[in-house]
Amino acid sequence: MGGSASMLPREALSEYQELTFLSKQEILLAYKRFSALLPKEERVNVCSARVPKSQILTLPELRANPFQHRICHVFSTSEDGDDSMSFEDFLDMLSVFSDSATSDIKSHYAFRIFDFDDDGTLDRKDLEKLVNCLTGQGEESRLSNMEMEQLIQNILEESDIDKDGTINLSEFQHVISRSPDFASSFKIIL
Amino acid sequence: MAAGRRAPPEPGGGPVLLQGIFGAGPTPGAAACSLALTARELQRLERTFRVSLGPDAEDNLRIAQAWSRRIRELSVPTVPTQDGDSYGVLPRPCRALVLVNPQSGAGRALEDFQAVVQPMLAEADIAATVFITERPHHAQEKVRDEDLSQWDTLVIMSGDGLLHEVVNGLMERPDWADAMQKPLCILPGGSGNALAASINYYAGNDHVAKKKLLTNCTFILCKGLHTQMDLVSLSTASGKRLFSFLGFGWGFISDVDIDSEKYRRLGNARFTLGTLQCLAKLRVYQGRLSYLPAVPEQGTPLAHRDPHAPITNGQAAHVLPPAGTEAPGALPADSLLVPLCQPVPAHWTVVPEEEFVTVYAIYQSHLGTNLLMAPAARLNDGCIHLFYLKAGISRLALLKIFLAMARGTHLDLNCPHLCYVRVQAFRLEPRAAAGIMTVDGEALACEPVQGQIHGRLCRVVSGS
Repeated sequence: MGGSASMLPREALSEYQELTFLSKQEILLAYKRFSALLPKEERVNVCSARVPKSQILTLPELRANPFQHRICHVFSTSEDGDDSMSFEDFLDMLSVFSDSATSDIKSHYAFRIFDFDDDGTLDRKDLEKLVNCLTGQGEESRLSNMEMEQLIQNILEESDIDKDGTINLSEFQHVISRSPDFASSFKIIL
Repeated sequence: MAAGRRAPPEPGGGPVLLQGIFGAGPTPGAAACSLALTARELQRLERTFRVSLGPDAEDNLRIAQAWSRRIRELSVPTVPTQDGDSYGVLPRPCRALVLVNPQSGAGRALEDFQAVVQPMLAEADIAATVFITERPHHAQEKVRDEDLSQWDTLVIMSGDGLLHEVVNGLMERPDWADAMQKPLCILPGGSGNALAASINYYAGNDHVAKKKLLTNCTFILCKGLHTQMDLVSLSTASGKRLFSFLGFGWGFISDVDIDSEKYRRLGNARFTLGTLQCLAKLRVYQGRLSYLPAVPEQGTPLAHRDPHAPITNGQAAHVLPPAGTEAPGALPADSLLVPLCQPVPAHWTVVPEEEFVTVYAIYQSHLGTNLLMAPAARLNDGCIHLFYLKAGISRLALLKIFLAMARGTHLDLNCPHLCYVRVQAFRLEPRAAAGIMTVDGEALACEPVQGQIHGRLCRVVSGS
């Protein structure tokens, strides 16, 4: 980086260490990577800038992630609904996906990420979208209706404890807590 | 139903099959013979027949008992005449040691035993003594040191893991050859149980789950028919030797199967969000897989292979010596295998691809309660059904395969990445210690492993 990059103020650094699961090095690295996403003239005031989603998605760690759009959406505090991210949004995201974040935090955010219609529960439509994200976006890379039905049936049978046809946060967390290495697969390390 | 004096028929009573479990007992007054018959749909029906031929109560009792005895005799399963010497029937009265893992089935195993199993066993004249396991290897130690002459059968009410311990505990005994003649029985303890599902399938029953599976398996125990089961001997690079009855796996399937809660099984989980998670970060493992093809039967296709698979010599290796012909006390020799430090014999097949999503060697039909992985497998078919998924398979194709596996139709998808071949022995050498390995659903250190089939090495209670 050149001298044009501004430094993260020390008070901000310690504050972020307090508020997130990230270490000092991780925060500084995040600052560097976030600045690089900004056009040169905005790098003077990194902490108040917003990076458009399209830029965030160029990060190699997110580019191949099947849930990239949902991740941006969940962590974005943009009031314009454009899913752009501020530096603090970015840190929030990295914090949840870091090694040190607890399983509870991860599963809480995983739930929000999978909740495509943002209504607080995972219903059939959400599960369908979830599976389609995994299998691919093209028409040929989708399950047939029957297969999708079978899969969703299986998932609901296993996870829908109160049998109301949807998976709420605690049911989700319960199932995920028994999952092999959920935490290790829910990781983004820069 | 034979003629005789009967009490007035109960309302709604219909014809009943004369195969069932039942007990007899005199009631006060005229001697009576009370039957509880289990009809095909496994509902317990009770019919009471009162004998009052004459005024003499003792006479009546004798007649009632004779009826009871005769009906019981008629209900004993007919031992199939082909392979006649490989079938047997549990004696009556029967003494059963029942090993229960109380944590099985989310802690309900003991409850289910008392509510479902015990009543049926009592009526079938099977005296059950319960042994509660308190820690891993407890069952293994128990059967290793136990005086087996006091039991007619060892019943395991838990998941496959407990049976794995029992099998290996028995093989640790100096008198293992005799000990392995003791019929073993598996009752699903609430968690998914692949062997129980397989036995249910071999018996020709419909696919059922949970409580119904438990009832079916208990019924099979009450009938008392037992037959021989193949075992696979596995040897690892670190010098372990294990006996296995279900399967050996590496990669995706094992990753999903294992977690910190030891008693969860893939069969129970089926497709949860956790499985989708593994799918999301689909990993590929490097290693070398080799195998000795099974002797082809007449007209049976040996493998479901893709056209690019290697053509082998096709010659079978030397025939397995029957168990028990080695020096007394010596464990059955792995005559098909050469030491792991040496290359595999020339007549073995080496799979040219060296990147896999998963390798699974299964010797029963079911991988889990809902996964009919090897529809052609049988208890003593003398071969291992080797499946492997080559790297490059898409998540979509993988998902389709596992969904189809619920009905056993995954091979019909003709996915070029899915390979299936029947073998007598195999060797797997992972390039690195990456990916979880499992034996009978239990985790194993990831290292080079080889195994071979030992036909008919033990006995299990089964439906046919």
